[in-house]
Parts: sequence; C-alpha cells; structure tokens
Amino acid sequence: MLLLPKGNPLFENMAVSKLKLPDIIAKLRNGSFTGYASFVFQTSTAVLVFEAGRLFSALVEDENSMRESGFQALSSLAESMVTTGSGALNVYTLSKDLTMCFYALLEGEPLCKDQNLTLIDINAIHEKIKIDKMNGCLRIFTDEHTAIVFYKEGNPLGFFHDGDREIETSPTETQKIAGMPGAKIDLFSTKNASELAEANLLEFINVQEIWDACVALHKSVINITDTESQELAKIIVSQQLAELEEMVKSIVVDSVGRIGRGIVDKEISDNGGNSCLVDADRAEKFMKGIERTAKLLVSGTNSKVMMERLSSALTGVDSEF
Amino acid sequence: MDKFLELLSQMNPFELVKVISWGVAGAISFYFSVGNARVWTSISIGFFLIFLSQAYGINPWTHYQKLTAYHYIVGAAAIMTITHGFLEYYVFCRTFEMPGNKLIVYLTALGILAASGALLIVNPTPSPNTIRNIKMVENAIWVFLCIVNIELIRKIYSTIRDSDISKGFIAFGIVFVCIFLWRGADLYLQIYQWDQDWQDIITLMTEESSDIEEYMGRVEFSREVIRYAGVLSGVSVGGAFTYMYKLLK
Repeated sequence: MLLLPKGNPLFENMAVSKLKLPDIIAKLRNGSFTGYASFVFQTSTAVLVFEAGRLFSALVEDENSMRESGFQALSSLAESMVTTGSGALNVYTLSKDLTMCFYALLEGEPLCKDQNLTLIDINAIHEKIKIDKMNGCLRIFTDEHTAIVFYKEGNPLGFFHDGDREIETSPTETQKIAGMPGAKIDLFSTKNASELAEANLLEFINVQEIWDACVALHKSVINITDTESQELAKIIVSQQLAELEEMVKSIVVDSVGRIGRGIVDKEISDNGGNSCLVDADRAEKFMKGIERTAKLLVSGTNSKVMMERLSSALTGVDSEF
Repeated sequence: MDKFLELLSQMNPFELVKVISWGVAGAISFYFSVGNARVWTSISIGFFLIFLSQAYGINPWTHYQKLTAYHYIVGAAAIMTITHGFLEYYVFCRTFEMPGNKLIVYLTALGILAASGALLIVNPTPSPNTIRNIKMVENAIWVFLCIVNIELIRKIYSTIRDSDISKGFIAFGIVFVCIFLWRGADLYLQIYQWDQDWQDIITLMTEESSDIEEYMGRVEFSREVIRYAGVLSGVSVGGAFTYMYKLLK
C-alpha cells in the first residue's frame, strides 16, 4: 500500500465519480501545481506527482501491490474513474524538494533493495548518501512498520512514518524502527530537481484520448452487459417456462395418459408457445383447449380433477415472470 | 299396425331378436351422438344407420322393391360413415384436431340418404337379382371396412392405451369381429350362390340348378354364424356404447 505523507491539503476526500481526469490534470497543470494528487479506490491507489504544473510521475498500485507507471498508470486510473463509480481524490501541495523525493520513492532507481540491517553497515550508507550528495529516499521497514527518510543533496529533508502521515523533523521514530529485529532497508535515488524539470508525461501522453477511449469502452461494455443481462434473463425465463410446461404435461399425462404430452404440445403451439401458461387470457384458452380434448379421452370426473390441478398450478404464476 | 304385428309374428325369432337388438343399439348410439363430443358423431350416426338398414325385417312396405334396395344401400352408407368416424378419431388421436360440427355431420348423413333414395327413384325398379347384387356389394363393403376398422381401432387403442376410454375401443373391436363374421358368412354364401335369395331366384325365375345340396354342412354352419353373429353384433354395439358412456361419465 502506498503510504504517503500529507503535504498542505488543497482538496481532501473529493468524490471521484463526478470528475474527469483530463479536467483535473488541466486544472493542476494550468495552476502550476507542485505536489501530488492521490486517487484512492477500493482496490487500488493512484498517485500523480506534479512539479510546477508538469506531471513527472504517475503510479498506480493495486491491492496486491502490483504497480503500473506512466501511460499504463494513467490508463488504469482513467479506467478506475470511469468504471468504479466511487473513490476519493486528495490533492496536497509539497515543496519542490519533497516532490522530488516523492518521485524517488515512487519511481526512483533502487540502489539497495530488501537489505537486512544486521547485514549492512547503515553508517556507511549514510556516509555514501552524504558524500554522493544523493537525492532520494531511504526506506527502513519491518513486517509491520515503515519509516522513510528523504534526502536532498545528501542532507535529510524530513522523516515519515506510516503511523502519523506527516513529515517530521525528528529521527527518533525512524531510529526505533531501525532497531527492531528483522528491519530492512531500500535505498532509492533520483535525478536532481533541475533534471526532473525536463520530464513531463503530459508532453507525450494525451490524457484526453485515454479518457475518451475509457469512456467509450465502458459504454460498450455496459451495452454488452445489458444485452447479456437481457439474454440471461430470457434464458432464465425460458428455463422456468420449460419447467412449468413439464409440470403441466405431467398433470395432463397423469389424467389422460401419455397422449397428454401431445395434447399439451398442440395447445401450447395453438396459443403462441409456452408463454401462454403465464398470460392470463392465453392460459384460459389453453385450459379450455386441454379440457375440450381431454373430455374425449377421460371420464368427466377425471377431467374435472385434472382441470382443478391445472388451475391451481397456473394460478398466480404470471406474477412470477 | 295390425300388419306390422302380423309381420312380427311371422318373423324368425332370431331375426326378431337381431332387429330388436339393433334397435336398442341404434337408440343408444343416437343418444350417445347427441350427448357427446363431435368426434363421436360419425361413429354414432353410422351405428344408428345400421339399425335403419336392419329394420327391413319389420318394415311393412318391403314388398316395394326400391324400399328393400334402399335398406341395403343405407347399410353400406352406415359402415362407410362408421369407418369415417373411426378414421376421424384416429386422426384426432394423432393431431388433436377435430374440425367441423355435429350439424354438418347430421346433414351430410341425411344428404347421403337422400341421394341414395334419389338414385333409386330415377332408376328402374330393381329386380330380385339386382337387389341381391346390391346386398352382395353391401356385404363386400362391410367385410372390407370391418377389417379396416379393426386395424384403425388397434391403432387408436395403442395410441390412447393408458387413457380412461381405451378399453371402450376394445369393446368396439369385439363389435367389428362379430360384424365381420356375420357379414363375412353372408358374403360367403352369396359368392357361392348358396344364399336364400339366389335359391329363390333360381327356383322362381330361372332353370339353373344349384350345388347347395353337396355343401349343406358348410351352408348350415354359415347360416348359424349369420344368425348368432348378427344378434351378437347388435347386442355388442349396444353394450359397447353403454360401456363407453360409462367410461366417459
């Protein structure tokens, strides 16, 4: 799960369902926004990182921690916005330096991954960060806790812990996590701010087209789904009618004998198919037809019993369809 | 009335019983046709017509030869109507369709009777030989259509085997077996010219001789079959309709 520190909130918990991704991005771009926008859905979270209105990072992480970035991330985000009908948008402003560190966290180059703290010299790593004047972040984590240290040109900018969601200046909590058994580290480096200033996903990705494609696809899926639903409903109704027809046949066969199946088939055919069994007017004609034919084959008593059974079988059935 | 009673007293007891049994059968079948569905109309009317054809024995005007011939023609029409009725029933069992209405069946039967009467009126008075020929044709039609009806009844029975009235068709099957024996025996005698009509004709009108004396055994046997099977036919028709009526009640 993406745990990100809050910056200065511009919007929080805004419903995504009524928003359009191209409009959001245009607004942030035109406002020369620096910071990040997070889109929180039930099964995924998307983060768009902006610096002076330029989108230089787009990342989507699903519930299985699978990540997508760039074009794929924007496509996934657009799809989630169009299809889920829920989700919340949070927009936070950050300083230019922290934004760069965010980029490192999200898409930086991993220099060190899943390294057990007991097996490495953490002081040497700190020394290397300082000497190399590294931009990036150091993530220290156990199975249950995470702390992130952001660096700019080798100097720590602040500390973030998964509990409080605020950038802190005190390293105390971070040191605690580092001291826990089984603690590991990841080290990500990124370009400096001036190099990042050249990156802008919006220059080569047309968000409007992605959005339009997602909307069109969603509409077609809805249409297909509607058609499939109608087909399914038809199949279900047809199965229920077939079961009803079989029940009617068994009643008639009980009284008239096996010839009863043919009688029912003929009357159903004469009355426009087995849907006549659930249509009050046609069911009445069907019953009269059955009675008329049965009278030629069975006694009046048997015919009466059969008609009573048929009547009770078909009474109220129309409301079920 | 006196003439009618005199005629009855002169009748062979077997003939009298046969006519009475066909009278009862005719009444039952006609009642059945009125009170039941269209599909039974042709069958019932047909059996009723048999009574009319058999009633020549008690008809005080049978000395009118055209009237005698008419009885036999009605007999042929009767079995054709019955066969048509069973064919209709068989088609009904396969298609469950029963077009037409009772009135048309009644009117058609009346039309056939009227047409048969007209045919006799416009033609010369039939000689005894012609009457015998008509009677032989009637018997031939009866024998052939009895076989057809037995087969139709078998097919109807196998189609509606497990319905209430299926056993009623077995009863009709028995009826047609009786009729087949009755009419078949009569036809047999006619074909070999051992029938009473032919004997009368050659005695009174020609100088032909007959070999009947050589085959008296089989002639007597055939005559017995005609007697008993004729009575049984009438009784079985009445019984079959009564049984069917009970099954349908």
